[in-house]
Amino acid sequence: MSTTNPQSDAQPDDVPRRARSRRTRPTEGTPAAAARSRRLSKARRRVANVAGLMAALVLTGALYSTLAPAHADEVGAAGDPDYDAGQEIYENSCISCHGSNLEGVDGRGPSLIGVGGAAVYFQVHTGRMPLVRQGEQAADKPVVFSDEEIDQLVTYVQANGGGPAVPSDEVASSDGDLALGGELFRLNCASCHNFVGEGGALSSGKYAPSLHNADDLEIYTAMLSGPENMPVFGDNQLSPEEKRAIINYIQTVKEMPDPGGAGIGRTGPVAEGLVIWLVGMSALMFGIFWMGSKA
Amino acid sequence: MTTHDTRPGSTGGADTAGPLHGGPDDEYTPEQLAAMPREDLDRLGARYDGVEVLHVEPGPEPGSALERRYVRQIGAVFALAGLAAFGFVVVYLGSGWFLPDWEWTIDSGTWSTLFTPLLGALMGLSLILVGLGMVLYARKLLPHETAVQDKHDGSHFDRVTTGATLVGGLHNSGLARRKLITRSLAFMGGGLGLMLLLPLGGMIKNPNTGNPLGRTSWAEGVRLLRDDGTPIRPGDQVAGSLETVFPAVPGGNRQADAATMLIRLRPEQVAESDPRAGQADFGYGDYVAYSKICTHAGCPVSLYEQETSRILCPCHQSQFDVTQGAKPVFGPATRSLPQLPLAVDDEGYFVARSDYIEAVGPTYWNRERI
Amino acid sequence: MARTATAPGAPTTRLGKAAHEIDDRLIVAGPLRRTLNKVFPDHWSFLLGEIAMYAFIVLLLSGTYLTFFFDPSMREVTYEGSYAPLRGVEMSAAYDSALDLSFDVRGGLFMRQVHHWAALLFVAAIIVHLLRIFFTGAFRRPRETNWLIGVTLMVLALLEGATGYTLPDDLLSGTGLRIISAIILAIPVLGTWAHFAVFGGDFPGELIIGRFYIVHVLLIPAILLALIAVHLLILVKQKHTQFPGPGRTEHNVVGNRLFPTFAAKAGGLFFIVFGVIAALGGLVQINPIWLWGPYNPAQVSAASQPDWYIMFLDGSTRLFPAWDINLPGNYTIPALFWPTLVLPGILFTLLALYPMIERKLTGDTASHHLLQRPRDVPVRTSLGAMALTFYLLLIISGGNDVLADKFSISLNAMTWVGRLGLIVLPPLAYAFTYRVCLGLQKHDREVLEHGIETGVIRRLPHGEFIEVHQPLGPVDEHGHGQLAYGGAPVPKRMNQIGGARRAIRGFFTPIEEPAQVELEQQREERGVASAEARELTGSGRPSEGGKPQEPRD
Repeated sequence: MSTTNPQSDAQPDDVPRRARSRRTRPTEGTPAAAARSRRLSKARRRVANVAGLMAALVLTGALYSTLAPAHADEVGAAGDPDYDAGQEIYENSCISCHGSNLEGVDGRGPSLIGVGGAAVYFQVHTGRMPLVRQGEQAADKPVVFSDEEIDQLVTYVQANGGGPAVPSDEVASSDGDLALGGELFRLNCASCHNFVGEGGALSSGKYAPSLHNADDLEIYTAMLSGPENMPVFGDNQLSPEEKRAIINYIQTVKEMPDPGGAGIGRTGPVAEGLVIWLVGMSALMFGIFWMGSKA
Repeated sequence: MTTHDTRPGSTGGADTAGPLHGGPDDEYTPEQLAAMPREDLDRLGARYDGVEVLHVEPGPEPGSALERRYVRQIGAVFALAGLAAFGFVVVYLGSGWFLPDWEWTIDSGTWSTLFTPLLGALMGLSLILVGLGMVLYARKLLPHETAVQDKHDGSHFDRVTTGATLVGGLHNSGLARRKLITRSLAFMGGGLGLMLLLPLGGMIKNPNTGNPLGRTSWAEGVRLLRDDGTPIRPGDQVAGSLETVFPAVPGGNRQADAATMLIRLRPEQVAESDPRAGQADFGYGDYVAYSKICTHAGCPVSLYEQETSRILCPCHQSQFDVTQGAKPVFGPATRSLPQLPLAVDDEGYFVARSDYIEAVGPTYWNRERI
Repeated sequence: MARTATAPGAPTTRLGKAAHEIDDRLIVAGPLRRTLNKVFPDHWSFLLGEIAMYAFIVLLLSGTYLTFFFDPSMREVTYEGSYAPLRGVEMSAAYDSALDLSFDVRGGLFMRQVHHWAALLFVAAIIVHLLRIFFTGAFRRPRETNWLIGVTLMVLALLEGATGYTLPDDLLSGTGLRIISAIILAIPVLGTWAHFAVFGGDFPGELIIGRFYIVHVLLIPAILLALIAVHLLILVKQKHTQFPGPGRTEHNVVGNRLFPTFAAKAGGLFFIVFGVIAALGGLVQINPIWLWGPYNPAQVSAASQPDWYIMFLDGSTRLFPAWDINLPGNYTIPALFWPTLVLPGILFTLLALYPMIERKLTGDTASHHLLQRPRDVPVRTSLGAMALTFYLLLIISGGNDVLADKFSISLNAMTWVGRLGLIVLPPLAYAFTYRVCLGLQKHDREVLEHGIETGVIRRLPHGEFIEVHQPLGPVDEHGHGQLAYGGAPVPKRMNQIGGARRAIRGFFTPIEEPAQVELEQQREERGVASAEARELTGSGRPSEGGKPQEPRD
């Protein structure tokens, strides 16, 4: 199990970031590349709404700043229409738990100062916020706000204290290296989210959710913001390129068909054990019962 | 029924069966047997085997409507089984020839995804139908007979005579009297057994030499590297994060015991942190590093819940609290995860100050002594 | 017949002559006749062991196929096969060849899945077979030896499964291997020595896959094969047990002769077992190693479990409290030692010795060839239910993280439910089963004494309503039956004794018209319909049907 490791041959400080001689990447024209581009187009479609909105947002901001330079230098300050709209949504829906100035309310909700837009995007876009009731963990549910409203909310919270921002769709797309993504997924994500993102149990009723319904930007912002008990994977720990690789792996494997028949949840021995008893052994017991019965 | 060879050199016709020869052939002459119908012969043989056929319910009347129906049914089942078997052959051979390619890749067509299920469905169907046909045949067309076979307990006669032979043979060998031989035989047996077993000794290795069980490659000044071989600065991780790191030695990221979790605590966690005695300075700022190898059964623990500060092992659900020196708080693990003492070298990268001060991984008999 | 000058009875057909020639040399006619005439009892539960044996045959066939492609080596290679998400990743040659077998060998994935499903079925069938033997008392003298061989076979099957599970060297099986390593280390005193002997050094070393491979494909299968042969030989020698019933005694076997009825049924069962395994092997994906990824000691997935038959040990390990025993001199007995080595040791020893224990406790040293109905031996049945409850709880606990996740239960709560359940539920299962057995016994006696409830309500002249009971045999002056319980099922419904309309024929669908059967029976003056017609003209009391019973209190 020991192998020569690139990190050993060179002095550690000489090692350039992302040098991976032990991993050859698939080149264009391979099935992997084809799969990537296929994924890419799906990913594009999926984040099309967000993308359009972001573009519109940038455009509006640019127009606004040229037309009314006296009021605001950049998007996302008081006076910006998105900011104001975001503030209004915040004051209608979030204020009771997170406080009038995002400072949080003891025992109800944490401070949102400095959490960044990525966290807001993840929490609201997956329907976790607004919370229905306090519990061990917020569950994902149908999203409450429109994409436009989410954007406004993101702008508002981002403007108050900064923090990890929502990346552009280019950054968050899923066109990364599939094999690298798989390795990184197994090292960093599989311990909680299971081998291929089926999710798993954590201590005392908490759980790592399934990644079945997660879109690219949600996975990206989750890694960036570390919602609830999930550790944070900042850009210096997992570069945007590596995050894209992970997203590509998750989305590719999620959508690929199972070559060996019904996937039975891809959860391994527990499901297989149930099948052998409830299907295999039961069918045979029925069979011998029939054989032993009088004609 | 043998013809005797009468040429010189053979015992020839003089060789006749002894007086103890006999059995059913003496009771039934070939002529008698030839005169018996087949069914009686069957019953006769059965009786010799202790079997009595009590009752035979014949199958359906030959040529009756019922028989024709059963024959049709069973014939259809066998024909279908053959059809499915040939279907298997067609799918197996035809894929990539006159059918689409069977080779599955993540973006290949539907056929390659159906290839294995089709093989299974056709082979399964074919074999189940064969079995079904055979059972149906037995149930519908064969006569149902009820037979009784006698069970015999061990025979007293056999026991006594066998015992006499055994004891007599042993007595004649004189082993019981010739003590020297029995003793030398016992000695020989012991030696022989040991001699044949000893080559397995090649598998025995002394685990206490070189001490590979207790130690890892971590040592003073060994850098903490990511899986891809890059070193880490204190500014690289944000609060509430976990990174798996490896020692900067050859093959460090494939070593079974060296994997370490580098955790940057959130300010609240730092505030309530209560390190183990004598290990208060093992962390670096808000960073702590613990062995990733569970102290229970050696699985990599890394289900890190950054809000509750717990690390869960997915194998047996031991839970460790990172703010309490990775003390086990639930489940079957008894020992805290060993902590790696951290420092930062001149170039600003994380290094270990020494190896773990205790053995990493699962507990064993003399772990404390290593 | 004898147109030529041959001896009477000499064969005339070509086949007959060939058979004659063979018998001249091998003298097999006698033994062959004895085999063909061997009588097998006809009961469905006697086929359970056959399912296990047929699964074993499928395992041998498919396993041999797999060895043509599998490379049991831990040499590092770079994957270049068809599965894109792993291309370029470093892995062991074992995992690489298992992937190639799955993706680049025509039908290889199918065969791999057949092998794995057959393994799961093999152990499942062994356990159901064992339960049948246990609950019917088929292990009693003279069959203790075969019981011991059977228990050994089961333990070997578990070891065989565990070594096979480890071979592909994927992330799931590697995690399992890591736990096996920790278990070996946990043996007091000898742990580290045993580990170094098995692994050839520290975990994982470079030998273990190769060693497990030869154990999996040669050592254990050879022992299994030999023991199965002995198991069957003893069975043939001792002859089959049978359930009590008319004409069945301790000194005979009632059933079908091997040829042709039983042979056709058994052969059919082989094909059905093979077919079910093949269907599962193609239609249901098992152990998709490409999703698990190559083994890496630093990686793990949530919900890492062994196959179901080892899950009870995983469960016991999860539930066992954190009790390391620290001895003077800085020696430790790890907590892991108790649930993974001591517990199965105790369980399997108790199981293996159960026939002797029962013989000792009951003082019953007689030979038994007639089986017992579980209800008639309430203590044994309840002990079995208790053990089964214990075992099931351990299995469930082995998957408690998956259950916690799928049913949104707290994982910690699942662990505590398991811990408390292991103490509380088995005694409850014992008490419950005991009551059920007694209740069933009582009902049998009641039917023998008072007869079958016919469902016919009569009004006596003084106005009292009674239900008419059909006695099963002669009655005394109080109308009480005088039949003794013989250990055989007691008929509980009228149509079981031909009293009511007989059951409509057909297993899956009725193959005759109910009305037709009714008429036919009425013509034959049998059954309720004819009885009613008769009684309408009678005294109002069933005459030969027995006297009406006093209402039971």
